Amino acid sequence: MSLEQFKNRNVGTQNYVKLDLDHSPTSGWCQFKQVVKRTFKPELFVGLWVTLREMGNALFRGKMHTTQYPFEKLPISPRYRAIHDMLRLMESGNYRCIGCGLCEKICISNCITMETKYDENQRKEVSEYTINFGRCIFCGYCAEVCPELAIVHGQRYETASEQRASFSLFEDMLTPIDQLNLQQEYQGFGAVSPNADENIKKTPLAY
Amino acid sequence: METATMLPEVTAAGVIIKAVLILAVIAAIAGFGTYIERKILAFMQRRLGPQHVGPYGLLQLAADGIKLFTKEDIIPQHANKIIFAVAPVITAATAFIALAAVPVFPDFTIPLLDIYVPSIASDVNVGILFVLGMMAAGLYGPLLAGMAQANKWGIIGSARTAIQFLSYEVVTGLSVLAPIMMVGSLSFVDFNNYQADGTWMVVYQPVAFVLFLIAGFAETNRTPFDLLENEAEIISGYVTEYSGMRWGLFFIGEYANMITIGVIASIVFLGGYNDFWFIPGWIMIIGKIAFSFFFMLWVRAAWPHIRPDQLMWLCWKVLMPLAVVNVVVTGIVMMIIG
Amino acid sequence: MYEFVAFYIFAIATTILFLITVMSKNVLYSMTSLAAGMVLISGLFFLLGADFLGVVQLIVYVGAVMALYAFAMMFFDATKDVKEKQQNPQLVFLLGGLMALVFVIMFSAPVIGDNIQALYPVVDGVGNAQAVGMVLFTKYLVPFEVAAVMLLVAMIAGIILAGKKMDYSLTKCEAIDEEMSVELEKGEE
Repeated sequence: MSLEQFKNRNVGTQNYVKLDLDHSPTSGWCQFKQVVKRTFKPELFVGLWVTLREMGNALFRGKMHTTQYPFEKLPISPRYRAIHDMLRLMESGNYRCIGCGLCEKICISNCITMETKYDENQRKEVSEYTINFGRCIFCGYCAEVCPELAIVHGQRYETASEQRASFSLFEDMLTPIDQLNLQQEYQGFGAVSPNADENIKKTPLAY
Repeated sequence: METATMLPEVTAAGVIIKAVLILAVIAAIAGFGTYIERKILAFMQRRLGPQHVGPYGLLQLAADGIKLFTKEDIIPQHANKIIFAVAPVITAATAFIALAAVPVFPDFTIPLLDIYVPSIASDVNVGILFVLGMMAAGLYGPLLAGMAQANKWGIIGSARTAIQFLSYEVVTGLSVLAPIMMVGSLSFVDFNNYQADGTWMVVYQPVAFVLFLIAGFAETNRTPFDLLENEAEIISGYVTEYSGMRWGLFFIGEYANMITIGVIASIVFLGGYNDFWFIPGWIMIIGKIAFSFFFMLWVRAAWPHIRPDQLMWLCWKVLMPLAVVNVVVTGIVMMIIG
Repeated sequence: MYEFVAFYIFAIATTILFLITVMSKNVLYSMTSLAAGMVLISGLFFLLGADFLGVVQLIVYVGAVMALYAFAMMFFDATKDVKEKQQNPQLVFLLGGLMALVFVIMFSAPVIGDNIQALYPVVDGVGNAQAVGMVLFTKYLVPFEVAAVMLLVAMIAGIILAGKKMDYSLTKCEAIDEEMSVELEKGEE
């Protein structure tokens, strides 16, 4: 399906396939013919055959559809917006967050709270960072607005826990320092698009 | 006739042992039927079905049993309490009473006590009518349950019970009538002996067989005709307010009825427990009953259910005339040949 | 011995159930006890060795009472008691008592007179169904056929009563209504 087709929301004017419905019988003879046709058409047996065939497919040809969820999981899209992750810089291992506060500002459900201070190198340090997941609507604005790609949406969608706070501390969301080499660059919402280089234009300075 | 005199005398102790045997084994099979149903329906929809309780989920039955027994037993405030409590018992009891006149398991003698246990608990010579009548009486369970529970879904369920019963009962009787005319007896044993030469009754009476199957589906409330408790339309119909073991009794009754219909279909139409080539008769009858049980599940997986008015249309305007014509034609042919 | 015990169980249970049928003010109770009583009567037939009649009793009355239930469902709230309107309870009591007395005399007179004999006793080797069939189609052929014709008449009458508006389609009713109104106007003109 082309993009043009995909974006066409004029539902009423699209090409629909009309079912070839029989006309309802008018005379008694027509009704009789319809009854006979419906009685002796092997449609019911087609139905039986289909279910039996699918049973054979499932049992003997390995076409079982069930995903045994807690033991096996389906892959999810990189654009999936689950519990946030805080990424680190690959080179130094420092967290990427520069404490700019944009995510706190843009958050439409006011669930991000952060406090920053200057550390001894006069560099901004995040002293406290929490996300209230009781309020978060997973809109993804924070990930989109983050200039450093520091706060992103991760893949952790199993959010049942004993306390809401379980996911919400900065340390919980931050990539563990020993798993730094496993850290994946974020592909989803707000990430740099694959053709970003082509889209960069010269900044018009000559006003 | 001579073999009949050879058999030891049937004592009261033997009949009681037989009754307990039927009750225990059929109730267990009926419970196990729920597992088989879930498993087969799952396979037909390419799912796995229950499989975490025990190997392949076999102990699911025990888990369900524990759940049913420990569930809170709720009787609604405005319900008619006596009738509400009696209704599930009617369904389960009639299903087992019907099995009293059906030959299940071979006869044997308990060695030490010298008690002869017959193959039919009560060998009434009108067996087939007794079984059908008792299964019909079983429909009082859903009817009373629906009316007693002071719930509108229940009332709709019991109204549907009444119309379904009145519709299919005629077809059941008339469809069985033609084989009865050919055999000239109402006893299951005579039906079995009539087909001892290897020609099944289906060959002579295909129309009656199809009619009986359709009516049997209606009698057991299986899917094309599961109007009484159709979740999509009337919540749960007559079982809306039931919980725990009272609810469980309805389903034990339903599955016992499925087995009974399987037994009748296999004895009357499918050659009974006669030997087939080299296969002994007891394997044949178990195989036939198992297949008819499977067929009911298969149909449930494949076919949609119909509306009440369609059921009445089908029974009164199509099946009943067909059954009458079948009876008349059978009579004429029998008169000409015999 | 077993028959003796079973007879009294069935007899007492049947009597109590039919008493409930008459006495109870609740539709559900009286209907249910009626149905149960009918089923228990078939037990008496089985005790007498009349298996076929017992089964017929079972099948026929199960269906008949089921139809009664359908009416009860339509006319009454099954969970509430019915308020009876009795104009003259003494008269009802008197007439009922008289009828009961007449029935008791009718049925007990031959017992006391000791002149009952079975006209069609159960014969060994002849099945119940055959015996009933023989009697029905020889001695009682005319009443049997008359009953059949009466049932046919009742059935046709029922179909006509119910089927008056069978060709009146609910989905097309507006069109028909318009047609009818047009016709009515023509008639008035």
